[in-house]
Amino acid sequence: NDDLRRGKPTNHKMFGEETAILAGDALLSFSFEHVAAATKNVSPDRVVRAIAELGSAVGAAGLVAGQIVDIESEGKQVTLEDLEYIHINKTSKLLEAAVVCGAIIGGADDESTERVRKYARCIGLL
Amino acid sequence: MVFSLVISPSPALFLPRKLPNLRRSKPPLSIHSSASSSSSSSSISMSVSGNSKSTQFDLKTYWMTLISEINQKLDQAIPIQYPEEIYEAMRYSVLAKRTKRAPPVMCIAACELFGGNRLAAFPTACALEMVHAASLIHDDLPCMDDAPSRRGQPSNHAVYGVDKAILAGDALFPLGFRHIVSNTPSDLVPEPRLLRVIAEIARAVGSTGMAAGQFLDLEGGLNSVEFVQEKKYGEMGECSAVCGGLLAGAEDDEIQRLRRYGRAVGVLYKVIDDVLEAKSMSKEDEENEKKKAKSYVSLYGVEKAVEVAEELRTKAKKELDGFEKYGESVQPLYNFVDYAADRGFSVLELN
Repeated sequence: NDDLRRGKPTNHKMFGEETAILAGDALLSFSFEHVAAATKNVSPDRVVRAIAELGSAVGAAGLVAGQIVDIESEGKQVTLEDLEYIHINKTSKLLEAAVVCGAIIGGADDESTERVRKYARCIGLL
Repeated sequence: MVFSLVISPSPALFLPRKLPNLRRSKPPLSIHSSASSSSSSSSISMSVSGNSKSTQFDLKTYWMTLISEINQKLDQAIPIQYPEEIYEAMRYSVLAKRTKRAPPVMCIAACELFGGNRLAAFPTACALEMVHAASLIHDDLPCMDDAPSRRGQPSNHAVYGVDKAILAGDALFPLGFRHIVSNTPSDLVPEPRLLRVIAEIARAVGSTGMAAGQFLDLEGGLNSVEFVQEKKYGEMGECSAVCGGLLAGAEDDEIQRLRRYGRAVGVLYKVIDDVLEAKSMSKEDEENEKKKAKSYVSLYGVEKAVEVAEELRTKAKKELDGFEKYGESVQPLYNFVDYAADRGFSVLELN
């Protein structure tokens, strides 16, 4: 229920709740469409892997998971474990996906991809 | 929406008609060719069935078999894990009992039309259900259509609260995309085609597709009901048919044909839903309906809506005429049109 985001009034404050939800849905879908349709000069199997990575990061095993636990924790005593979980999923996973997708698209082998994933996790928590 | 519950059996007398794939292989059906000695109207249907039985496609069995497989795969695709409540909310809507699974069935039928393997289509078929469920969860929210129930059960937000309902929808969209790329065998569908499927679904649910339709529906005003109907209901039908074709490696002109077919069937389904609902409403309900979202029926009346439905039926079948060379495998898609218009049977029995 925030009024501000990035220094500006939040989307739903400007456009209403229903438009904000639809805008979020549209952006979410568009991100996948954009990767699938606009990526040039990259072998399709790498684009597919990037989509899988993105899909994992923003869903129920990523962003959404962090958000749910965050909501559930409101007004309650939170363990360090929960706090880490929230942070990893709400923030770190998307960062991880960004780095890993970059590596995949860039042609990194599996070992290198996992290495940058670990890097990203440390940065995310940091 | 497309998969609402209204089912009403239509009269059993089917007028004889030629199925497209019969033109080359069989002479036209003739009422007089029957050897049956029974009289009057029953002889019409009997003499027809004598010729058409061999090509009479059992859509119901085809459909129900697929429903069962799809349900199983969806159950496996969304296992409960921590945090459990979000998975429960996702499963609640996706695995609702009273669903017809029309988008996945259309996708699979379109894939098989071109000789595609249904194993290639199942992950996409499941993904279509996931994103469909996601958009319905959001559509039902209090700030949107404010629907108390969906598919014969309380809406997601009524059970889990608005927060979790929004997040369940948010989780189902990316899960759909991920499910496709992680589960479609690459030996059956090369990656470039898979990417086209992803782009197609994303387009259909996004700012030029269903989200647009919902936005315009909520906005009200001068937006034509036709445009809104196409965006809200035609998109899913179009997307499902097109994805099936893409998975099977159909040619571009065939994809465009599937696109027009799917769109027509999607809108036809909704128009008939509205007609059936209008016919079963009391005067009091009618007054309430008028205040709700626009439909063909509320704007033009039942008679005109039925006319529109017949036009859509003809249009959808005309598109399928272009698939004559595929012979019998056009049957499911063909019969689907008549099901959408006539609702000759219920697919919800087993659920």
